[in-house]
Order: sequence, then structure tokens, then C-alpha cells
Amino acid sequence: MKVKILQWHAVASWTWDAQDETCGICRMAFDGCCPDCKFPGDDCPLVWGACNHSFHLHCILKWVNSQNSQASQQQPQCPMCRREWQFKA
Amino acid sequence: MTSSSAASRKALSKIACSRLQKELVEWEVNPPTGFKHKVTDNLQRWIIEVVGAPGTLYESEKYQLQVDFPEHYPMEAPQVIFLHPAPLHPHIYSNGHICLDILYDSWSPAMTVSSVCISILSMLSSSTAKQRPADNDRYVKNCRNGRSPKETRWWFHDDKV
Repeated sequence: MKVKILQWHAVASWTWDAQDETCGICRMAFDGCCPDCKFPGDDCPLVWGACNHSFHLHCILKWVNSQNSQASQQQPQCPMCRREWQFKA
Repeated sequence: MTSSSAASRKALSKIACSRLQKELVEWEVNPPTGFKHKVTDNLQRWIIEVVGAPGTLYESEKYQLQVDFPEHYPMEAPQVIFLHPAPLHPHIYSNGHICLDILYDSWSPAMTVSSVCISILSMLSSSTAKQRPADNDRYVKNCRNGRSPKETRWWFHDDKV
């Protein structure tokens, strides 16, 4: 028997490969976006730290920048484990 | 009390607003043991009742916490104080200010109102003497014009209580 495919529809779903379901900073779902964005996905990406904790890029940047702007402060730390925050290479 | 700081407060940012709404919902489903949130329509100031834990010096005593959120919460810590009368504790001043590192230098945006409450109750519970901090009078005098505890340069040295 021969089957001839005339038409074909593919549907895919995506999800971030993070350990948690929600961002520890804004508490929004990782598969959603941070409160400042409208669309999840590439517009509001996730980032990982060297410690493997993940956050919305926009959220961790706000935290890192707020730490850096305090003159007396030490290096920004991961909000979850307090290790010095470094973006995972 | 803290009316001066309240008047100068800026409205909550979008992130602060959405996070606090989530925290409030989560609190209603699963409040920390020993705490009761007094319902108001003010998202920016929470009044929370705390009851001393059984088997501790503060058993069954009721106190009130006032939690004020800054514009950029959770990038900045909330201001947390005890309303009068504040519990007698070596780290709690008679004006309600609390010497607790996570409320100042050690704040992290991953913390929540709920986790802060648990830390405060744990601090109360581990107390072995009902007394004011040694420098209470000097500190309180310094704060007379309604200064926020967040403007204090805290010195954290006692990790036992």
C-alpha cells in the first residue's frame, strides 16, 4: 500500500528549560513574561547565573543595576543563593 | 509615627504592584503560621498581626507589624516596624524599629512578606530575655523626627537571638 501525503500541519509547543516554574524576582511564570513585557519568548528571555539559578533577563538586570548603583555595596549577589552573580557563559 | 515617610512615598511601580498582588493571593491561600493580615484597600501598606509562638517568652502576646513597600519593591526592601507597643526584645527598639539584617543590607528580591514575617517570629522565639537593646534610648532619640529605620546604618553583631 502506498500512502501519499497531500497536506501536513505541524504544531509545536515550547517551554523554558528552567528548574523552577516562576521567576524568583517578579514571581511571574517563566513561560510568561516579566511584568514590563507583553510577549513571552525571545522578547523576554531567561538567563542563567553561574550558580544555575534562572530569572527573567529584565528582572535580574534590574536587581544587578540597583546593587551597582549603591556606592557602598559589594558585588551583586544571586537573589536565591547569595553567590556573587555572574551570567553563565 | 511614620506619617512623614508615608507622605513622601512614591506610588508602586508596575512590577511592585503585580508582585504584591501575587503575594497577597498567596498569603490568603497559605498565610504564615501565627500571622494575620488586616485587610485594607492599601496594597502599599500592610498591617499584620503576629501572635507569639507557644513555648516562647512571647506566647499568646499580640503585636502589630507595619510593612511599607517602596516604589521599586522587590529590588528594595520593604520598611518593617512594630506598631506601639513593640515587643520587649534585645533587637527591637521601643519605637518599633527592628535590627534584622534581611530588612536592610541582606535583603534579596527573592524574599517575600511571608518569609520576612517568619524571620521576625523566629527572632522573637529565640529570645531568652525580655529587654530592650542596650542603646535603646540613644537610638530612639536619634530617630525622633520620624526617620525610617532604612536610613539607619545598622551594625549587626549578635547572631544568637
